[in-house]
Amino acid sequence: MNMKLTFAGAAIAALIAGTAAQAQDVIGYITKSATNAGWMMINQGAADAAAEEGVQLVSVGPSFQGDLSSQLEVFENLVAQGAKAIGVAPVDSSGIAPAVNDAMSAGIPIIAIDTGVSGADVTSFVATDNFAVAKEQGNAAAGLVEDGDAVIYVTGNQAQSTGQERRNGFMETFKAQRPKSEVIEVPTEWDSAQAQEGVEAILNSRDDIKMVVNAWDGGTMGAKAALENLGYGAGDVKLVGFDGASDAIVAMDEGWVHADTAQMLYQMGYQGIKAAAAAARGEDVNPRIDTGYFLVTPETSAEYKKMIGME
Amino acid sequence: MTDATHSTPVPRLSLQDRMIALLVRFFRAEWSGALLAIVILGLAIEVATTDTMFFRPSNLMTILNNSAAIGVVAGGMTLIILTAGIDLSVGSVMGLTAALTGYVASFWGFPPALAILTGLGIGLAVGAFNGTLVAYFGMPAFIVTLAGLSIWRGTGHLTTNAQATPKLPEAFDYFGRYNPFAGLRQAYRDGELTGIWENIGAFVDANWLNFFRTFQMSMLIFIAFFLVLSIVVANTRYGRYVYAIGSNEPGARQAGINTRRYTLMTYMFGSFAAAFGALLFLGRAPYAKSDYGQMWELDAIAAVVIGGTSLFGGRGSLWGTFMGVILLKLINNGLTLAQLNTFWQMVVTGGIILVAVGIDIVRQSRDPEAVRKLLATVGAFMAFLTLMTPASVWLRAKISLGEHAAAMALREAGDTLAPGHTARLMEPEAIQAAQLAAQSTLVGTLVLLVLTILAAVNIFRGARPMTLVLAAGFVVMIPVVALMGYQAATPFLVLGACALAASAFVFTLFERARSLSHD
Repeated sequence: MNMKLTFAGAAIAALIAGTAAQAQDVIGYITKSATNAGWMMINQGAADAAAEEGVQLVSVGPSFQGDLSSQLEVFENLVAQGAKAIGVAPVDSSGIAPAVNDAMSAGIPIIAIDTGVSGADVTSFVATDNFAVAKEQGNAAAGLVEDGDAVIYVTGNQAQSTGQERRNGFMETFKAQRPKSEVIEVPTEWDSAQAQEGVEAILNSRDDIKMVVNAWDGGTMGAKAALENLGYGAGDVKLVGFDGASDAIVAMDEGWVHADTAQMLYQMGYQGIKAAAAAARGEDVNPRIDTGYFLVTPETSAEYKKMIGME
Repeated sequence: MTDATHSTPVPRLSLQDRMIALLVRFFRAEWSGALLAIVILGLAIEVATTDTMFFRPSNLMTILNNSAAIGVVAGGMTLIILTAGIDLSVGSVMGLTAALTGYVASFWGFPPALAILTGLGIGLAVGAFNGTLVAYFGMPAFIVTLAGLSIWRGTGHLTTNAQATPKLPEAFDYFGRYNPFAGLRQAYRDGELTGIWENIGAFVDANWLNFFRTFQMSMLIFIAFFLVLSIVVANTRYGRYVYAIGSNEPGARQAGINTRRYTLMTYMFGSFAAAFGALLFLGRAPYAKSDYGQMWELDAIAAVVIGGTSLFGGRGSLWGTFMGVILLKLINNGLTLAQLNTFWQMVVTGGIILVAVGIDIVRQSRDPEAVRKLLATVGAFMAFLTLMTPASVWLRAKISLGEHAAAMALREAGDTLAPGHTARLMEPEAIQAAQLAAQSTLVGTLVLLVLTILAAVNIFRGARPMTLVLAAGFVVMIPVVALMGYQAATPFLVLGACALAASAFVFTLFERARSLSHD
């Protein structure tokens, strides 16, 4: 592990040294995952913004999703080696705070992307308001079932603010509108296999489930696989997603998914790095940039696909 | 497996002796610890879930279906650990082969059979690479496969760009969700069946939801894989050599065994099993992707160890691993059905692993004192759980009062309060309610605390009279606890009393068992 980080440090140093010759500003970008479909869209936005702004983007991911210690170490390397600004998607809101504090006091602007930092000030926080979007998801889901219908909610990691906000937002509006409905939870750590197994177990133990609502679209695809494993067809049990990932939109076209609250993932990366570049030049940056959301339903899916350039 | 019943004619044994013989026979098996943990946990979940039945064929088959992929991987891991090796790369190899199999099937137009062969071939090749480094270059298996953990994961991401494939061809369903009865049921529903087949079709259709729906290929392949593998290991030279290499490698080499070749073969089989596990996983998954199988190496090792296989090699069994995998999956399934808080699930998972391995260690020691201590510990733990029923209320009230006081002190000192602090400030009514809760639970907590301390002392110095008195004390506490309003805690006391009573007779049992086997 240490050796890997040393290499990562050396690679960053080499990149920064190489770019110094071209006299471009170096923006560090610490992502949460390089393999998750949603994160790949955010990372794409970040890369495009950097190309547009003419800055050198040094992007580094953790060695596995949720690894705080490697994120901290990469962070320190970037600071030590003179990045002009850093965009970071913290795997742990409070765990990253001391490193953010150090960088901010050293005069390096920090842009938090997707997940906020608690316990330290940042230059700007660029994200969808997860809680607000989850409330919309709860609204949309409530419209798909009758009061009293049993539903499953597949949670994200409840040790992270993103997972907590999405769950709480959904529960708040859904339970207000469908007070008699039972909500059975399937806990996951953002792992679609966990979602699949949990949904399968519950669908097996009772046959009155009308809908599966998911905290992210990996869960949506896991839940869809669980339905297929048990021989359900499209629409027998309704699916509601979160993220607007392309595979979930394909599943919507096939009749599986009935609603999906899409975060503007690409915008999150794009605007995050735009803000970082502006801050690096010393310009003022809005401390809270809301990248909004889009409610994808079978009616609006064509519009959404055009928006994200799908197909 | 020889035991007492073979040396003595069965009819001459009394019922009691026969039970003892059965017990001895059960605990001689390596998988007994895991099986016992499965039964205990299953019963606990059955009690905890009122409306959903845990012990139901369809639920048990769901657990088997979901155990299949990791189970096959753990089967390969078992052989490697039996040779006193380790393979940390299986999760990455599983991800790599899953991703590449899906990739060539989706994007290169490979027919499913060829794609599957490609995947299995990649598995064998990776295993040959790892195994050669371990067996012929003398590199430590831990290091080689730790490097492999990173290399093969990275290779999987690189070759497929970490992108998911579209949905896989239906042929992959034969490794997973395919249900052999689905066609029959469909034919029955379409009215195409006649005679005896119509009756069978009607039976399948009537029992579809509670039995046949979950009768899927995953489960069948999982069981068949372990059957075939255990027969091979028990009956071939290869199987004997695996054990020989694990228990004494230099000795095995001096005895003329080509230890290098068999070590290489074992690592190849381990990676092959990882690739085969990837196929089983693809049979149930929505798409193929290179981040599948993360942390599977740890789950596989956990399953092997829970199943009673020694990490130092040479001792263990495949059926133990089979049980170990089921136990791990059962924890997820059962705790989801019981709707237990996620954070508790983590704690419980670790606790169950300790229990299973604890039973195994005691089992191996063949020491009556260790068994007595284990049972006495169970008794003490049950007393602790009973204690926590009122004590958790007391503690929570006391903690919230303490946090309120600390936040007040901060405010009086003139500090600005963080949102977390403000949330801990309480209204006067809440303070009163907390004080009342603490008061009303104090007596119960103290009484049960005494019982718990006595039970804890009993672990270390448990003469039979004292143990029996303590067990009686548990029984006496049952109505008391129920009267105090903690009916939920009574099963703990019943179980604790049983464990304590049993612990008092451990020595008698052991003596009888010894004399039986000497006859």
